[in-house]
Amino acid sequence: MKVILETKPRKKPRIPIEAETIIPQNFLRGTDITVFEGNKERVLDDLFYISVEGPAVSPDQVEIILRGDTGMIKRVGEYMNAGRIVVEGDIGMHCGNFMSAGEIVIQGNADSWLGREMRGGKITCLGNAGHYCAAGYRGEKRGVRGGRIEVMGNAGDFTAEYLSGGEVRIHGNAGDLAGVELREGTLVIEGSCSRPCGNMTGGTCMVFGKINDLLPTFKSLGIKEVDFEGKKVRMEIFRGDVANRGKGTLMRAV
Amino acid sequence: MRIEDVICPFCGCLCDDLVVEVQGTTVVSVENGCTLAHEKFTGDNRLQAPIKRDGRTWHPVSYDEAIETTAQILLEADRPLLYGWSGTNGEAQSIGVHLAELLGAVIDNTSTVCHGPSIMAIQEVGHPGCTLGQVKNRADVIVYWGANPIEAHPRHMSRYTTYADGFFVKGAFLERKVIVADVRETETSNIADEFMHIEPGGDYAVLSALRAIVRGKADIIPSYVSGVAREQLVRVAEMCMNAKFGAIFFGLGLTMSRGKYKNIRNAVELTEELNRFTKFTISPMRGHWNVYGSNEVFTWISGYPFAVDFARGIAFYNPGETTSIDILRRGECDACLVVASDPGAHFPKQCCRHLAEIPTILIDPHVNVTTHLSHLQIPVAVTGIDSEGTAYRMDGVPIRTRMLYKSRYPSDREILEKIYQIVLKEKGP
Repeated sequence: MKVILETKPRKKPRIPIEAETIIPQNFLRGTDITVFEGNKERVLDDLFYISVEGPAVSPDQVEIILRGDTGMIKRVGEYMNAGRIVVEGDIGMHCGNFMSAGEIVIQGNADSWLGREMRGGKITCLGNAGHYCAAGYRGEKRGVRGGRIEVMGNAGDFTAEYLSGGEVRIHGNAGDLAGVELREGTLVIEGSCSRPCGNMTGGTCMVFGKINDLLPTFKSLGIKEVDFEGKKVRMEIFRGDVANRGKGTLMRAV
Repeated sequence: MRIEDVICPFCGCLCDDLVVEVQGTTVVSVENGCTLAHEKFTGDNRLQAPIKRDGRTWHPVSYDEAIETTAQILLEADRPLLYGWSGTNGEAQSIGVHLAELLGAVIDNTSTVCHGPSIMAIQEVGHPGCTLGQVKNRADVIVYWGANPIEAHPRHMSRYTTYADGFFVKGAFLERKVIVADVRETETSNIADEFMHIEPGGDYAVLSALRAIVRGKADIIPSYVSGVAREQLVRVAEMCMNAKFGAIFFGLGLTMSRGKYKNIRNAVELTEELNRFTKFTISPMRGHWNVYGSNEVFTWISGYPFAVDFARGIAFYNPGETTSIDILRRGECDACLVVASDPGAHFPKQCCRHLAEIPTILIDPHVNVTTHLSHLQIPVAVTGIDSEGTAYRMDGVPIRTRMLYKSRYPSDREILEKIYQIVLKEKGP
C-alpha cells in the first residue's frame, strides 16, 4: 500500500502540526486519523490531500509519502515498528522518535531531535539535521539504543547525546559537544566538530575531519591503524573522558 | 509611616531587613537596601490606566474592556504563549498555569533566558545545594563562577558570604577564601583570593580539568586550559578540597555561555567530586526576585519548571522546542500574554518582531520596551510595594512579601483571576 499525504495550504502555516499518528501501522485501519495543529485536533483530511494506492495486510507493506510544506510537521514516525516513510521535503522535530523498526528517508533537512531515543530501524536524511540528532529526551539517561541514523549533510549541536547503542553516521560536520555523555554504540563524523564526547563513559567516536577545542581530559594513546569499512585508517586514539570514568574511545584521523 | 522588616522585591536575595518610610502612597526613604532596592521602591513612573493600540496611537480603555479583550484574544488563538511570571507572586503564577492548561497554551517564565540550563542540568544529575543560612554560618571557601554579585546582587556578599560573620566563621573577611572564575575582570574578581581568567566559552573545559584533578588525574592536564594555567587549576582544586565547607555560586556567565546546561552539569559533578573530600554545595544566583517561585509553582502544578506546553491537554516539556525564544523565533505562536516581564528588552530581534506582529498583551505596572511591541497593556500593583504575595528566595526559601500601602491599582492576581473566569465560562470546566 502506498499512502500519499500532500499538505493543503494553511491559514497559519507556522503553527506546528503534531503527527505521531503518521506511522505505517495506523493506515491499515484506513485514513480516519487525527493530528494536532497547535491546540486544535484536526482530522487528517483537514490538512492533507490523501491518496491511497493498493492494499496491505501488514505494516511492513505500507509506504507513506509525505509531500508539500512538511517542515512544521513534528513526530512523524514516532513509535514506528515497520514499513517505510519517505519525506520528499523537510521534516519537523522528533521524526522517528522511539522507532523500533522500519525505514524513514528524508530527502530534505530534518529539524531537531531526529530519531530521538530510537531503538531500531533506519533513518536516512539526505540534507542536514538539526540539534540533538540521535539524542535522548530531557533528563533521560539513555539516548539512541539501536538502529542506524545516517545524515548525508551536517548535524547540529549535541549530536548523539547519551548514545547508548546503534550507529550514528554524519557525513558532514557535527556541531558542538557531539557525543556528549556517550555511553555505548558508535558515532562516526566524517567532517569536523568541536569538543566531542564530553563526559563520555563508554562507546566509540571516530572523527575524520578536524576536532576543534579537544577537551583537556582526553588521554592520547598514540597513533594506530584501524579497520573502518574494510579499509585501514590511521587514527590517533584517545581514552576519556577522565573527568568521568574515562572508559570511552575517541579517534581522530591523522 | 515607618515600616520595618520589609522584603525587597528586586533580586533573588529577597533581603528581608529593609526599613521603609511611606507617606500616603509614596515611598520616601529606604534604609538597609542597596541602590537597586532604593530605585525599585522610590521609582514611580507607573502607567496610569490600561491602554490599547489603535494604529499608531494609544487609547485608554477600562479595566473591564482590557480584561475582556485579553480573554477573547487568548480564546481565539491556536497556539497562545503566556510568558514572564518572574516579577509577580506565586498566587498569580498559579492562576497563570491553570489558565494555560485551560487554553492549551505554552507557559514559560524568564528561566528560559537565565537559569533554565541550571534546571536542565539539575534534572540530569541532581542539586547538591543548601540554604544561604548554611553558607553564611559554615562556608570558608566561596566560589563565584560567571557571576558578579557586587553589581547584580549587591548585598549577597555582605549578608551571606565574604563579609558576613557566621556561627562557625567568626571573622568572615579574614577566614573566608573567595575564588572567582570569569571571562573578564569585575568588581567581584578584584576582591578574590584567586581569579581564574577564563577565555570566553572555556568554562566547560576548565570544569572538566578541575574534575580530573580532583580525581587524581592532574598529570594529563595540559599546561594551559582555556587560558588558565595548570598550576592555578591545581591550586584552586586544593583550596576546594581543603575547605571545611565550600559553596559555589554561579551566574549567567556559566548558564548562557557556550555549552549552556552542560556547563552546569559539569559544575554540579565537580561539586559531587569535591564531596568525596569535604562538604561542598552549589547554587544558582537567581536574578528576578521570584523566578525561583515561578519554577516552584509551575512544577507543583504541571510537573515541569518552565517551558510547559499544554497544547495537547497534558503538560509537555522540551527546552529548545517549547521555550519562548524558540517558539517566537520560529513564528509559531499567534497570541502572547506577557506578565511581569520585559521580553522586548531581552529577547532577540526576530522574537521581538514576531511579538509585534501578533496580538501581544502586557500586564505590568510600568511602561517598558515590551509596551512598544504590545497591542494592549494593563497596569497593576507592584508585589512587595502595593500588593502582597509569596516569593521564593534564590535558595528556595519561601518568603511572604508585604503590602506597604493600598493603592488604586488591582493586583496581577485579580486581573488574571478575571481573565481566567471568562475563559473558564467559555471553555467549560
